Amino acid sequence: MLEISDLRKRFAGGPDAPGGKVALDGIGFSVRPGEMFGFVGANGAGKTTTMRIVMGVLQADSGSVSWQGRSLGYDERQRFGYMPEERGLYQKMRVAEQIEYFGRLHGLGPAEAKKATDDLLERLGLTERRSDAVQTLSLGNQQRVQLAVALVHDPEVLILDEPFSGLDPIAVDALATALQERCRGGVPVIFSSHQLELVERLCDSVGIVSAGRMVATGTVADLRAAEGNSLRVVVRDPSPGWADGLPGEVTVFGDRHTLRTEGGDDQEILRRAMKAGHVEHFGIEQPTLTEIFKEAVA
Amino acid sequence: MNGLMLVARREITTQIRTKGFLIGLLVTALLVAAVSFAPKIFGGPTSYTLGTVNSQQLPLQAAAPDAEVTWRSFPDENAAKQAVLAGDVDAVLVNGVKVLTDGEIDPQLGVLLQSVNKETKLGAAGVSIPPLQMQSVGADTRYEAARAGIAVVLVLLLFMLLMGQVMMVAMGVVEEKGSRIVEILLSTVRPWQLLGGKIIGLGVLGLINLVTIAVVGLAAAMVSGLAADFPPGIPGLLAGVLVWFILGYAFFATLSAAFASLVSRQEEVSSVMTPLTMLIMVTYFVAFYTTNDATGTLATVLSYVPPFSAMIMPVRMAATEVPLWQVGASMAAMVVAVLAVLSFGATVYQRAVLRTGARLKLGDVLRTR
Repeated sequence: MLEISDLRKRFAGGPDAPGGKVALDGIGFSVRPGEMFGFVGANGAGKTTTMRIVMGVLQADSGSVSWQGRSLGYDERQRFGYMPEERGLYQKMRVAEQIEYFGRLHGLGPAEAKKATDDLLERLGLTERRSDAVQTLSLGNQQRVQLAVALVHDPEVLILDEPFSGLDPIAVDALATALQERCRGGVPVIFSSHQLELVERLCDSVGIVSAGRMVATGTVADLRAAEGNSLRVVVRDPSPGWADGLPGEVTVFGDRHTLRTEGGDDQEILRRAMKAGHVEHFGIEQPTLTEIFKEAVA
Repeated sequence: MNGLMLVARREITTQIRTKGFLIGLLVTALLVAAVSFAPKIFGGPTSYTLGTVNSQQLPLQAAAPDAEVTWRSFPDENAAKQAVLAGDVDAVLVNGVKVLTDGEIDPQLGVLLQSVNKETKLGAAGVSIPPLQMQSVGADTRYEAARAGIAVVLVLLLFMLLMGQVMMVAMGVVEEKGSRIVEILLSTVRPWQLLGGKIIGLGVLGLINLVTIAVVGLAAAMVSGLAADFPPGIPGLLAGVLVWFILGYAFFATLSAAFASLVSRQEEVSSVMTPLTMLIMVTYFVAFYTTNDATGTLATVLSYVPPFSAMIMPVRMAATEVPLWQVGASMAAMVVAVLAVLSFGATVYQRAVLRTGARLKLGDVLRTR
């Protein structure tokens, strides 16, 4: 279990922010082995800072991070895989050498690093490019090298900051598959993303962060249950004032009126709608992650 | 420790494979070899071609063993005049009483001819004059010229290597910071390992350069015969220069990494490095000046002041005999300075290297954590 508890971090102020800026104000969540955790939040909410602290790149002012009950040090983090938001590779270094180098930095022996590199290149379809300089690769292939760098040492934990940003739909699927594979192998995977549909599709659980605080954590199903279902009725060309006195809100698009409500007598609403015009849609809807997110950070 | 060595090894293997490094090494080796042969080709010992008309050859060779003297004899004064005007001979002795030249005679040759002529005539008259015994009561100055020459070459060498390697460190730091690869690196190695590995790796490359130059230079000097003019103690001097290079490099390279970590783009490297390159230039100019006056007050005082000592002590060591305790004291001061700079540089680097974006101010970095 990867446990992150009560992380706090304040960045020192510059001329424009004399008091400094609170980046994290008590972030905490935990991820089980084999669980994929989606980390969502607006820009500047604190996702990257949290991940940097987990990876030891930044120091928290207070709070703790532990893996399998032990607090994290350099030795533990050596077995973590990390893909930072700001991608980086040595542009002039050859593909295979680069992956091997990071394997060695993560503590693999020379032969192990070479074998792991060969395997990864094979799986990512980069074997033919192994001796090319990274800068000669297409952006998509560079992303694969970046992923290989994060995976080369067969990490115990994967932390990925915006791994899907800038990828085409096919590359997104390929990366998602690679992550799911690792996850099924018992690796906890944390990734941040603004693509909420993707998070909804891939993740077992989700953490929503806003202004340095966790505003919601849990499985997608839990969050939905907490948010509550809503009733949506679409009526075409209804008589004016048809929804007066009904709960919820009406939005109008052309001659279509949509009523959305979380309470009220659904049968009464249906009767009123049928009387007012042509009912095109009547149904109970689960909130999407996007709606949950907007509600949570509002 | 493993991380440190891996980082250093990457620096070395990456650089050593570039064309630039190999070509640079080859060019310096050729230059050094050329410099070692130059005196033989352009200078060489003085040589005189002299003629005689109805005269005995004077025993010049005994009086000037370093000069090459060739004699030709002419049947009469007219033939001799023509040869002098044609430049075939430097001077012609006629009837043992006068010397024909084209214009003023070479002063050295004039003095030589006069004194040897007197000696011969007096000897013939039975007067023998024992030669004056020359004795120096001051320092041994036999090798003064050679020593000064070696000092100039050393200073230039140290300057070029220091400047080159220090700029490499700066560019390497910015490469990692600008591409954000530093974030992945710092999640697996500690900042001091990354910084230290880079400095060590590029330092080893500098040493490879220095040793190549020394070996090629010495070998060429031995082949060309220049080594015969070398003062004693060259191996000790070279060992000293290696140590001074390492100390000077550690000092400047650490500062270089600290300054470079303030910027995120290669275009900003040269401007952020200006104070440091100025410091290296000033050190070089002062050191170069002291090659003219290696025993003066300026040289003596600054040979203890880091970082000037890194270039000025080698100058003093090359130009004069420096007592071992003085070298030791100067090195100790430099080591203390290097340690101070290491702690300062590592702090700045650690704090600044993850803050990408606009150029950071050194003061801000030092104030904030």
